[in-house]
Amino acid sequence: MTIFYFTLKRSFANLANLIFLTAAPIACIFLPAGEGWPPLAYGYAYFGIVILFVAIRLAQIMMEDRVKGILKRLSVAPVRYFSYLGQHLLAYAVILILQSAVVVLGGWIAGQELHRPWALFALYVSFSFAALAMALAWISVFRSKDAAFLFYMSLIVLAALLGGIILPLEIFPDLLRRIAVILPTFWFAEGLKSIASAQPFADNVRINATLCLYALVFLVLGSTRRMQ
Amino acid sequence: MSLRTERTWLANGWRLLHFGFLTYLWIGFDDAENTFILLLLLFLLTSLRWRFELPAVFLLPDILICVLYFPYTSVSYYALALPIFEWAQRGRWPFSLSVFVALGFVPFFSGWLLWYFVLALFVGFFLDRYARNLEQWKKEADEQRKARQELERVKAELLEAQRSVSKQAELTERYRIARQLHDHLGHDLTGASLALQAHAYAEDPEEAKSLLQEVKSRLERSTHSLRETVHDATPVAPIGIENLERALLHFQEIDVSLRKSGDLLSVAAYQWSLLEACLKEALTNIVRHSDATAAEVTVQVAGAIVRLLVQDDGTPRENNAQSESGSGLRSLNMRARALGGSLSTSADNGFLLVCVLPLEQEG
Repeated sequence: MTIFYFTLKRSFANLANLIFLTAAPIACIFLPAGEGWPPLAYGYAYFGIVILFVAIRLAQIMMEDRVKGILKRLSVAPVRYFSYLGQHLLAYAVILILQSAVVVLGGWIAGQELHRPWALFALYVSFSFAALAMALAWISVFRSKDAAFLFYMSLIVLAALLGGIILPLEIFPDLLRRIAVILPTFWFAEGLKSIASAQPFADNVRINATLCLYALVFLVLGSTRRMQ
Repeated sequence: MSLRTERTWLANGWRLLHFGFLTYLWIGFDDAENTFILLLLLFLLTSLRWRFELPAVFLLPDILICVLYFPYTSVSYYALALPIFEWAQRGRWPFSLSVFVALGFVPFFSGWLLWYFVLALFVGFFLDRYARNLEQWKKEADEQRKARQELERVKAELLEAQRSVSKQAELTERYRIARQLHDHLGHDLTGASLALQAHAYAEDPEEAKSLLQEVKSRLERSTHSLRETVHDATPVAPIGIENLERALLHFQEIDVSLRKSGDLLSVAAYQWSLLEACLKEALTNIVRHSDATAAEVTVQVAGAIVRLLVQDDGTPRENNAQSESGSGLRSLNMRARALGGSLSTSADNGFLLVCVLPLEQEG
């Protein structure tokens, strides 16, 4: 588990990451609730965007390894690539789960209306896995760290907008609403709606399973070993 | 892009097109959120197949998922085109036919669906044939490469053997001449020398006369023996520079002049055979490819090398002759390299062939 511990340390090594990983989730707890929309307080919808940003920031560490040739040097060490990948992803998943726990627990302590905190926590965890896998697949395509991050930022904003996190989906034309279903952010927004409107438990399971499916698909696509 | 990568790209291209089509069907005609989960599941299975080499039996989950979705969406029928394609591209196209047969027993059936299945089968079949041809082509290319390497090895061995035989022949001939000189000429000359010494001490005139006659007859025999030895040692067929001169004598197409310099006797017989081959190849090339009216052949022996130059007065060509040299020149180049020398050609200023070979060090 050396790689796991080292990845945890590296994740908090620079200031930007530290702010993202600590301050952003705490700020989400204290954002006010909207009138009618979003279904939960603004912070709990925007936390989805935070998760997406955090996932790409963390996945960039692996990209850094690839760009600097660390991955090439690792290939001659007695460490399998899947072990390297698995321990990195585990470390990132732990960070994201902790963040989700902080947000849900903090909201519960601060007296936010969370309806079903456990369901919300499960949704955040599922979405974190999907976001992490998406980021992994995304960085596997790019060679430049900065280009990958910049393009992904634009993509996050677009996905959040189309998926119904920033604006309600109802204001979009019919075709866009249909296309939005393809985005993981749509399922995240659906999950929030489901929790707020006290939908049956099976509905929550369906949404979480879909997000896990996304995670699996992107994990398969992004786990290819690239040296450069 | 390698051919194998190209094939993978084609397969992935079809898979993506297929999912694009299913998404279009879903957005255009269905719109149920659960149908998207079907697409996501199928996409996951396809990604797994793309990422790992899974056996054909792993297509059964695809079919099972599609069948489970039959009551809910027509997209699931079209999704069956993917297993058809995957089976066909793995060479198991008879399995694909089972899906066609099953079409007759399902409630949803349309001509478009049939055509889509036929298209998937055709694309998969095409990719399978393509992959097989690719494998066959690679196998043949490998065999040819192997045969060529073997041929080159044999050729190099033959050249080495030729060189060795030439040396052996030279040594044997030296030994024969030495033996003949010793057996015949040597004995007679020694006898004549002894007879002359005896003559100096002879007191009887008759005996002195007899000794002189003995010397005379021995010297005559020695002269005859020497003439015979030289006659036997002289080759019947022309070798060396004479052979080149004879080749030029029989070449009547254009005017060719020969210049020679240096100690031509220091060139070994097997080197002359290569120089002769180079000369003939150069003259043939001039006649076939050049508009030259005259050519000059130069044979120089200088220091430790022998150099053959063939230069014609033809029109200069833009592209270098070396780049388009035929198998004859390539073979000669290889032979020259095998003897430690080189062969180069140029068409910049008429056709020029230069062959340089190292001479063998004496001793």
